Amino acid sequence: MEVRNSRRWAPRGRNRWIVAAAALVSAAIVRTLLHPLLGPVMPGASFLIAAVLVEYYCGLAPAIGVMLLGLCLADYLFVPPYGHIDVIDASDIRLLISYPLITILVITLVERLRRAQYRAELLGAVAQSRYEMLLRHDNERLLARRATDEMHRMLHHIAQYQRTLILIKALDPANSLPPGSFVAAGATAMPDGSTGDASLHAGIAYCTKHAQVHQEDLARVSGHLTPGHHRMRFLSGGRDDWRPVECVCERFITSSGEFLILRAED
Amino acid sequence: MSASPLSSMETGDHAVLLLHGLSSSPLELRFLARLLADEGFVTHTPELPGYSAGAGHQPMEQWISAAVAEFDKLAARHRHVSVCGLSMGATLAAALAHERPAARALLLLSITLSYDGWAIPWYRFLLDYVYYTPMRSRYRYREHEPYGLRNEALRSKIARAMQKNDISEVGPASISMPALHEAGRLAGWVRKKLKGVRTDCLILHAIDDETSSPHNARFVGTHIGASFLRTIWLDDSYHMITSDNEREVVARECALFLRESVAATVSSTTPTPVISRALARRLRQLATVARKE
Repeated sequence: MEVRNSRRWAPRGRNRWIVAAAALVSAAIVRTLLHPLLGPVMPGASFLIAAVLVEYYCGLAPAIGVMLLGLCLADYLFVPPYGHIDVIDASDIRLLISYPLITILVITLVERLRRAQYRAELLGAVAQSRYEMLLRHDNERLLARRATDEMHRMLHHIAQYQRTLILIKALDPANSLPPGSFVAAGATAMPDGSTGDASLHAGIAYCTKHAQVHQEDLARVSGHLTPGHHRMRFLSGGRDDWRPVECVCERFITSSGEFLILRAED
Repeated sequence: MSASPLSSMETGDHAVLLLHGLSSSPLELRFLARLLADEGFVTHTPELPGYSAGAGHQPMEQWISAAVAEFDKLAARHRHVSVCGLSMGATLAAALAHERPAARALLLLSITLSYDGWAIPWYRFLLDYVYYTPMRSRYRYREHEPYGLRNEALRSKIARAMQKNDISEVGPASISMPALHEAGRLAGWVRKKLKGVRTDCLILHAIDDETSSPHNARFVGTHIGASFLRTIWLDDSYHMITSDNEREVVARECALFLRESVAATVSSTTPTPVISRALARRLRQLATVARKE
């Protein structure tokens, strides 16, 4: 896959030009220091190394700049007669042919490798992004599946314990389905026995068994209900004859919201 | 300032302020705005004076002020307000997030801090100097192929629209020199202020963006002060990622990030649960890498 921005691998800004200038000056100083030892041998070697290093770290344009200026400096300072540019002999011709040829060859190879490296980095970043997107969507899928399973469990629970259900409460009524939609319309009613909208707006649906529960207990669990066991007073036989009954509250985190279901224990 | 027909100003918990690109129109964010609205977010895509197409020229400080005013209006009505921008709009969004740290999330789509993509001509830097010449009022930088689009069918449709009109659904046919100059100033301002931006941040950028190279997104990723930062790289789009081949991915990831950002707030009691073991492992790896850095 072609990535046309791979040619833009080099850092931007003026810093790379400053680095290139520093490399050129350093190469000239090193060659000057070695001049008593080397004489006219390899006049452009230090500039070649500088140009290649600049190409690797700063990109093509500064490297070409270093190469061209290095060629002028090498010819002027390190090719006999030293300090003269107007005399062109075999040494100048050798430098003019060999130095640009080798430098351009190496710079071209480094440029190609750097572009390929940058392209690989970019494609690697895309692959990583896609992998993380995949994981996040997989997480969402698992959450949805868990919520669906939980919904099935809740519906099964409602069907199984329909006769002993007291109430169904939505924990976040604004973002949940009305709990009354989970039970038969005839089974939902207000605490006083009438069917109405008020309890549905509050996120509570009262079920068949609620009519036998003491009003105080019913008000208590309607206001604050937590998962677990609750003891509630149930009407038994005659009037004002209350007996304690163990009740169980279970929590269901479904795709349609979180619900608490309170039922009398068998 | 005028609200565009794309704005969905219903009551809602979470509003998203969408800022389009330089000298452009809300049309380029139409798809994203529609999907976010479908996901339950309130979207608002204003036209800003001096910044939008046909709204005259004003200094970039006025752009920021206008964007801040739009943000404040949304903040007065909604519990969470996030900011999203495309291209230079992303740069403006970052400036807005710096001015309003209360922003819930910052979505930077193809952020442009410098015009250095592969389709930008080499002499682009000379245009910075043209601004100081009499050419400033005459010269306009004309958009050309590929118009920020990798999708060739859409590109040819946009090319026809550009020939007929001054503006298309992916941006203007040309940009004036004063607008480019102010955009450059804005980008320079944002570069200096990025460390102070602590809003949750999502960066979406195409690796083959022909207008702003990946260096722009990397610079933001390295320098921004946000603790919740996510970068997503795309490979089948150019600059206009809200209209190109991966626009569905862009919109979906934006919506997901907005939800996660709200869920990750300290006050929230229901953070997004992680039940995928692979994701949990990956998050641990990323946390380890972040600690080492």
